[in-house]
Amino acid sequence: MKTNQKILLQFGICIFLFILIGILINNLTINLLRTGLGFNFSWLFKPASFALAEHPLPYTSSDSYAWALFIGWLNSLKVIVSSLILATFLGTLIGFARTGKNSLLGLISAGYITVIRQTPLLLQLMFWYFVGFLGLKDNMFIQIKNIFNLSNQGIEFSGLTFSSEFLALLIGLSIFTSAYIAEVIRGGILSVPRGQWEAFRSLGLSESKGLIRIIIPQALPAIIPGLTSQYLNLAKNSTLAIAVGYSDIYAINDTITNQTGRAIECFIILLFSFLLLNLLITNTMEIINRLILKSQKYS
Amino acid sequence: MFNININSIIICFKHLRKTLFSNLFNTVITFLIILFIGVACFYTFEWLIFKANWKAVISNLPLYAFGSFPPKEQWRPAIWIISLLLLSIFTLCGPDWKWLRKNLPIAWVGSIPLGLYLLYGGLGLSPIMSRHWGGLTLTILLTVCSSLLSLPLGIVLALCRQSSLPLIKKLSSIYIDVMRAIPLIAVLFFGQLLIPLFLPVGIEIDRVWRAIFAFTLFVSAYIAEDIRGGLQSIPYTQTEAANSLGLNQYQIIQLILIPQALRIALPALTNQFIGLFQNTSLMAILGLVELLGVGRSILANPEFIGQYIEVYVWLASVYWMVCTIMAVLARHLEQRMTINQANF
Repeated sequence: MKTNQKILLQFGICIFLFILIGILINNLTINLLRTGLGFNFSWLFKPASFALAEHPLPYTSSDSYAWALFIGWLNSLKVIVSSLILATFLGTLIGFARTGKNSLLGLISAGYITVIRQTPLLLQLMFWYFVGFLGLKDNMFIQIKNIFNLSNQGIEFSGLTFSSEFLALLIGLSIFTSAYIAEVIRGGILSVPRGQWEAFRSLGLSESKGLIRIIIPQALPAIIPGLTSQYLNLAKNSTLAIAVGYSDIYAINDTITNQTGRAIECFIILLFSFLLLNLLITNTMEIINRLILKSQKYS
Repeated sequence: MFNININSIIICFKHLRKTLFSNLFNTVITFLIILFIGVACFYTFEWLIFKANWKAVISNLPLYAFGSFPPKEQWRPAIWIISLLLLSIFTLCGPDWKWLRKNLPIAWVGSIPLGLYLLYGGLGLSPIMSRHWGGLTLTILLTVCSSLLSLPLGIVLALCRQSSLPLIKKLSSIYIDVMRAIPLIAVLFFGQLLIPLFLPVGIEIDRVWRAIFAFTLFVSAYIAEDIRGGLQSIPYTQTEAANSLGLNQYQIIQLILIPQALRIALPALTNQFIGLFQNTSLMAILGLVELLGVGRSILANPEFIGQYIEVYVWLASVYWMVCTIMAVLARHLEQRMTINQANF
């Protein structure tokens, strides 16, 4: 295409988009006028007047909507970080089992991965919550010397309490993500050339030492990008918390939208809270990636 | 013949010994796994056959399949699902006649208007509102319609992101990146709320179509990225060759780039569509009574209260089965495509 043709085409698309957006905004203002809601954020500082079962910082129902949203964001962060760690641990174990020498172990992990990946996460979360925790009868709780206490209210572990909603979400998310992480780990290990395995074996290194010293460092650059995208998926999937009644950022957003009817403002807030979460995860992973590359260069 | 068999058995045993019992640690693990599998199988079968109370599943089978569709008219979605099933079986193990293979894609695309006609009614069938749709029928309808709509949108977005026009490139990458940053449930929830707000007064879209549009907007961003990967892996010499043959830009895109990109992206696209099928379950918490929604409403019925495990196991196996069918169909398509390529 010639340059002036290109400019003309872009100009045309620009005008088309402007007209489209204009029509949409026109419709929106008409509809908002009809419902009597304007577009502003001053409601954020009114009292929220709903209670939250779980709050890492002090919160009462007379606190503002903004504070409630922040608490929700912290709750999200809490469940994301903890299930991220658990899922990485589980996924690594299963990924190694899948690539290991023992074919029976490989078969079992392959079965685990298929079953987890072929059923919806929402169903799994409901299973863990309604069967795993609420299924525990009041009289059927496990108690070990007042240190560890498992009941349908959750787990109490030496003074720390975890609600059953949080735990169901943690377990469900970790198990679901671990199946995907296992595949990432497997891909990373398979990307290391076979010659490397043969080389460390012929050098007389033991299997476990060779794995840790030779294979994993070379697999990591292939693993990290896959892990990052799985962590981002985990963060997005954590919004299914609403199904088990855990008050994360989305659940609180949902409550506020239903209470105030301000769908557009709430959507924008949710968008930005997720952009923030994503930035946090990608930047942390970028730092980790750089550290790994650096340590490999000078080792 | 017999000798070869014995040899292969010996090789098999040697392989087993090498992989399962190579050293003490491995042997211990193998025996532990066998023990674990044995115990797990025993308890699972004992539960499946003796302990589980399948009443919540068996007495509600039509509900799982069709939701609250009027019982007299349930043959309509039934015909649709059976025709889809027959079509899958035909595609997978049907005869290899050329005219049949040529017309199968048309039959697949044609199954969607057929389904919509059978569900909506009209033209001789009694009309049925979309709020009566439900169960597996609705799940499949959501999946099929959203994937069919999101594929062209995704292709357009991917082409725009690869375009040499900076404005178009920027706009489509902003759309794709923002869509990929927000969780699906937010898109669905706000889709239900916001789509009516952006429409002129008087025009209304029902919940099912709002959900389909929200799914389309969301999935097309992911599909666009998969197809972009396919486009990027096509060597530039292909475009040069097409140029030297005198094809114009639209012909190059239509005949050279898109078919190859689709073939390369097919495994990734399969994963997207399977993911989409699973994610239609999110509509259960947003007010549509699809497969999981039916499960939830049955569990809320005092008659079946507390039978969570049975219902969830049943639902999981249905989802698992449909996902497997989709994966097998996709693998079949992949094989056919590589065979076609080999013929050229």
